Amino acid sequence: MKDTANNKDYALLSYHHIPGVHKIEIFERAGGYETMKECFKKEPEAIKEEVKASGLRGRGGAGFATGVKWGFFTKDRKAIKYLLCNADESEPGTFKDRFLVERNPHILIEGMIISAWALATQKGYIYIRGEFYQQAVILERAIKEAYAKGYLGKNILGSGFDFDLYVHRGAGAYICGEETGMISSLEGKKGQPKLKPPFPAIKGYRGLPTMVNNVESLAAIPWIMKYGAPAYKQWGTEKSPGTKLFSISGDVNKPGVIEVPLSTSLKDIIEIHCGGMRNGNKLKAVIPGGSSAPIFNAADSYLVKMDYEDVAAKGSMLGSGAIIVLDETRNMGDVLKWTLEFYHHESCGQCTPCREGTGWLESVFKRKEKGQAHISDIDLLDKTASSMRGQTICALADAAAMPTQGMIKVFREELEAYVMTPAKVMTKK
Amino acid sequence: MSTTETFEFNKDNLATYKEYLTRYDDVESALLPVLHLAQEQNGWLPDHVVSYISLLMSIPEIKIKEVISFYDMFYDVPVGRNIVQVCTNISCSMFGGREIYQGLLKHFDTGYLTPTRDGRISLQKMECLGACELAPCMRVNDDFVGNLDLTSAIQKLEELP
Repeated sequence: MKDTANNKDYALLSYHHIPGVHKIEIFERAGGYETMKECFKKEPEAIKEEVKASGLRGRGGAGFATGVKWGFFTKDRKAIKYLLCNADESEPGTFKDRFLVERNPHILIEGMIISAWALATQKGYIYIRGEFYQQAVILERAIKEAYAKGYLGKNILGSGFDFDLYVHRGAGAYICGEETGMISSLEGKKGQPKLKPPFPAIKGYRGLPTMVNNVESLAAIPWIMKYGAPAYKQWGTEKSPGTKLFSISGDVNKPGVIEVPLSTSLKDIIEIHCGGMRNGNKLKAVIPGGSSAPIFNAADSYLVKMDYEDVAAKGSMLGSGAIIVLDETRNMGDVLKWTLEFYHHESCGQCTPCREGTGWLESVFKRKEKGQAHISDIDLLDKTASSMRGQTICALADAAAMPTQGMIKVFREELEAYVMTPAKVMTKK
Repeated sequence: MSTTETFEFNKDNLATYKEYLTRYDDVESALLPVLHLAQEQNGWLPDHVVSYISLLMSIPEIKIKEVISFYDMFYDVPVGRNIVQVCTNISCSMFGGREIYQGLLKHFDTGYLTPTRDGRISLQKMECLGACELAPCMRVNDDFVGNLDLTSAIQKLEELP
């Protein structure tokens, strides 16, 4: 995608239009891996400084500054440590990382090699969700090509630096996208999160320092190192610099992945980038950052700018940039029901407030199916959600509670009517 | 899937297993890849497969079973030759993903993961598959198929071997 005003390619999808760019020779002909070669001439600390100066924020959902996270990592270059790429992309509504790596796996690999050199990690893993089998195959093929070129393995390009990179497939568990859950899973265990601190940067995979970064964060590194932090900061705002991938689904004419500067208005994303509302229907609501993000009504949706601060100021979160657009035909009771079934199914079960709480939230909708719900159940949902927040090892309980409370705040009357509507006759499993 | 009471990796998979071990700094970390591999060979992961892996990797059987039961894509029950995962999360449900799942169960006269009588298909209700631009979508074995309705979904699955 082009930034037409500055006639410059954006950071992440600039190779995407090139046919066959998943092959290394085509990627290199377009300038791929040049930045990596330049980076091996630079001091690792200088790379870290550049990334920090760019203000890049973690693109997995939490939005923590990547350079600051890197700053927590040990500077002892000999110590055994790992680079772990989070490609477990499971937040409902999110499909940007899949879109990025299935067409351009090398941009991620280049970003990981540069990051590995900066952080002095000897081994790296791309933890990709089990459902992305074909994408794992694409990545493995690309890694093989990079090994053949001497960009991976022993003594990369004569630098004396060794870095091995592997793809590790998950097997279907949302919680493995949480970085400590991912580490448990990589260790061959159930993907149950671990208490923080210690953070993975200090004590991660196998108890050793582990840097966990999202696909999109790592894929932005080559651009930042090529054009520099000031160029990256031309986009977005002071606190939310750069470009971001957004996954847009739901009631728009053109669902898909776009790359736009942070702080692009949601209205422009819907109306310009996604071709407007499907069937010319009216906008009712938007989930702006994956199913964990509290919902916006139409008015707020049209006002919000998609950066970390503005979405938060309006009561939700940018999250992974998964935008689900809902039109006037949608019932918010259905949306909340589908959301809560998901969190109940995906709770890993180790913390009581989450294991039980997600079940209680969902149970209101089960009662509704039997025609046994009560109008006070909406208050019950609110109270249950509130008692789950901040009580658990990881953020899954909060991720279920936030959209519940958000939905009640914006669409209480509709929810009350929904739970009181007699059940539809459902086909039995 | 046919199951015998004994299991061991075939020659190719044994070589792959050994290659997996070189990727990690301990044996346990290879468990998920090894389970994928065993399931690929055997179709599902019954007790005798677990016993084999337990001996092979020196991991207690109960730890392996814990892992199998935790992840949606490891099967501790027999499944059909083709696994069909239907997304029922928000974006897909908006466009009838749930009705498609229910319709497929009815058409193939089966239940969650239960193989069809000819052993051809197991249907699995899934949470967000990460392909929402294709809503409603499903995974047929390793591939995404999107923009479905019940008729096109049935048609697609009837073509399966």
